[in-house]
Amino acid sequence: MLKRTLLAAAAALAIALPAEAQNRIPVGHLMDNSGATSDVGVPYGQGVADALQWVNRTRNGVAGRQLDVSGFDYGYAAPRAVSQYQAWTGRQRVVAIQGWGTADTEALVRFVNRDRIPYISGSYSAALTDAGGKSGRQGVEAAPFNFFYGPSYSDALRAMLQWAKQDWESRGQQGRPKYVHMGANHPYPNSPKEAGETLARELGFDVLPAIQFALTPGDYTAQCLTLRQQGANYAYLGNTAGSNISVLRACHTAGVQVQFLGNVWGMDENAMKAAGEAANGVVFPVRTAAIWGQEAPGMATVREISRISDPSGNAYRPVHYLAGICAAMLMVEAMETAAEGGGQVTGERIREGFYARQNWVPRGFEGICNPSTFTNEDHRGTLRVALYRARVNGNTAQGSVGELMQAGTMRLEQVTTVELERRRDWLGW
Amino acid sequence: MASAYFLPAGDYRTSYRADTTIFPTRNSRIALWLGIAILACAPLALGRWELSLLINIGILGIAALGLNILVGFTGQISIGHAAFFGVGAFASAWLHEAFHIPVWACIPLAGAITALVGLVFGAPAARLKGLYLAIATLAAQFILEDFFARSAWFTGGVAGRITEPLTLFGYAFDSEETFFYVVLVAVIVMFTAAANLMRTRDGRALVAVRDHYLSAELMGINLAYYRTLSFGISSLFAGIGGALYAHYLLFVSVEAFNILFSIQFLGMVIIGGLGSIMGSLMGAAFMVLLPEAVQGLADLLAGSALDHALKIGASISYLREMAIGAAIILFLIFEPDGLAHRWRLIKAYWKLYPYSH
Repeated sequence: MLKRTLLAAAAALAIALPAEAQNRIPVGHLMDNSGATSDVGVPYGQGVADALQWVNRTRNGVAGRQLDVSGFDYGYAAPRAVSQYQAWTGRQRVVAIQGWGTADTEALVRFVNRDRIPYISGSYSAALTDAGGKSGRQGVEAAPFNFFYGPSYSDALRAMLQWAKQDWESRGQQGRPKYVHMGANHPYPNSPKEAGETLARELGFDVLPAIQFALTPGDYTAQCLTLRQQGANYAYLGNTAGSNISVLRACHTAGVQVQFLGNVWGMDENAMKAAGEAANGVVFPVRTAAIWGQEAPGMATVREISRISDPSGNAYRPVHYLAGICAAMLMVEAMETAAEGGGQVTGERIREGFYARQNWVPRGFEGICNPSTFTNEDHRGTLRVALYRARVNGNTAQGSVGELMQAGTMRLEQVTTVELERRRDWLGW
Repeated sequence: MASAYFLPAGDYRTSYRADTTIFPTRNSRIALWLGIAILACAPLALGRWELSLLINIGILGIAALGLNILVGFTGQISIGHAAFFGVGAFASAWLHEAFHIPVWACIPLAGAITALVGLVFGAPAARLKGLYLAIATLAAQFILEDFFARSAWFTGGVAGRITEPLTLFGYAFDSEETFFYVVLVAVIVMFTAAANLMRTRDGRALVAVRDHYLSAELMGINLAYYRTLSFGISSLFAGIGGALYAHYLLFVSVEAFNILFSIQFLGMVIIGGLGSIMGSLMGAAFMVLLPEAVQGLADLLAGSALDHALKIGASISYLREMAIGAAIILFLIFEPDGLAHRWRLIKAYWKLYPYSH
């Protein structure tokens, strides 16, 4: 009996396992759907997944070959990402990976370099932009296979600081403004810390000692009281939306008057609803040229993609979803470039595909994705940082995010767009 | 126990040496050498993915064996084993980076450092038992985890540390195919050492402490000494396992060594079989292969009729986490003696076929 069952099981496996079609292009997709950054990881990952599936359905994949996307929720634990990476390269032999966090992406730099696999991360750590390894910064290695869509964390913070400086002057404030970096002791919030504090000093800010708070939601009243005590004027929130909400609410309750500057993952429409009026006034970078509900040439396509996981077409998609689409489409188009003229879709050729265009907007996503330019020495895709301000007036407890945005209870208003200089000494940090 | 029942007729032991032999029959010795020979050929036949599973089984098996010595053989408890695993991983990476000690020497040194750390944190074991000891080791877990996150000089801080592959005579063991042999050798050495340890006076003292501490003390066994020693030995194994892990993944980060991982080690020794040397390896194999099996099942299900009927969709990956939990519970109910016991029953079944009763 035992023997027969075992044989049957083995036979079933043998029939099921052989890879269906050799013709498919294997792609890895690392997501955080359950870890510390899942609040923003879920919409971003959904955007990537929907876009890739949409490519399979409507464009018949890349050059007639379907994408074989293998998703994995790694719960924001870098070691799990590393072992999953080994599974992907060893078993599926993926040619490209859509990644996520800073800790895991930085840990994998050396591996993707060795295996020549383009890695499009959700981490915008500036350390990943030094493609040639020529920055000479300590601890920064050449990352020729790492890409991401949008300004780096450091560049986004630099833009916000430049805005903060103008804001301070335009409001006619006297004296030196005080700047403080807030975030968890984790590679992701730490990534732009030094760059931000250095520029803040150059711009004439007083830089206060950094304030720590965990990546998970909690009671951060103590941190808010420190903010008030130190008299901070501008505070950078380095974590993702979930734990930032806790800070915003605690500071709102404690009556702390600070201009918060959010990280690119630090604020979105969901966080605005959750934080309510506490989120009012937070300034943060938005990576796409349009947000959900606005009109743009590429918006129809985006809505089509959204229907992949929401056939009713009613779901509101936060800014991270759109950014996920752009990140996925950059990879898809780089693959198409690689496949042109019957070429092989290999990691190396996909990387070349990233260099094929200047001011690159994926076809069909005009008005959504901002132009990116990658060179084999500089992977800072863009240095244009569009700053938005979260506006919340009224109770956000009632109604969905979509309804609240439509009713104007919540709004994202554009503040300014900062065009940073492509400084060589800013490469890699 | 069971193994003693199935010796061939006429097999009389006339000396202690014969009685404590690890592999009692000629066939079991042949099977052992054959098994090692087959494993040594594995890199020729298996792909990188399968090899990486075997490597993981070996590394976790060594650490689980350490915990089994503590829990299964000495009757103590530890829910901080992953922290000691981490000490080994970081110590090896640190020794190599700070002092440029070759990696092959770092691994045993890391084991020794971890053993010392284990002795320190095992000190309460001399006085505490049961739940109280469990909480004391929980403290070790949290203290060490916090230490890992803050001591940038030792661990690279929260960003973790990139490690170098093992090199011997200028040859780098940096791929699955090559590192597999490193782990294979380590597994053989560590498992032989543990099996032999259990045959010594000290090993028997550990078992005596487990079986009845009062009787053991009456027979002249120093309880405090052996309980603490057990922690040291257990940590030594964890440290070696951790060091191998560090030089295999080529990256160590504090995030790996959390309490869940500690619980997983406990799961390995319970599923494998408390007080069984080979059981530790089986438990590790179970823990490594189960998620893969469930993942394979989920992949098969994805897009099938069942998937559409139940609208599982994207949440199919959660099935994996739930199935692992369910499998562990079922195991504890239906197989409380562990895989090692089941393996003995299977062996007996084949040996006595068709007269198994």
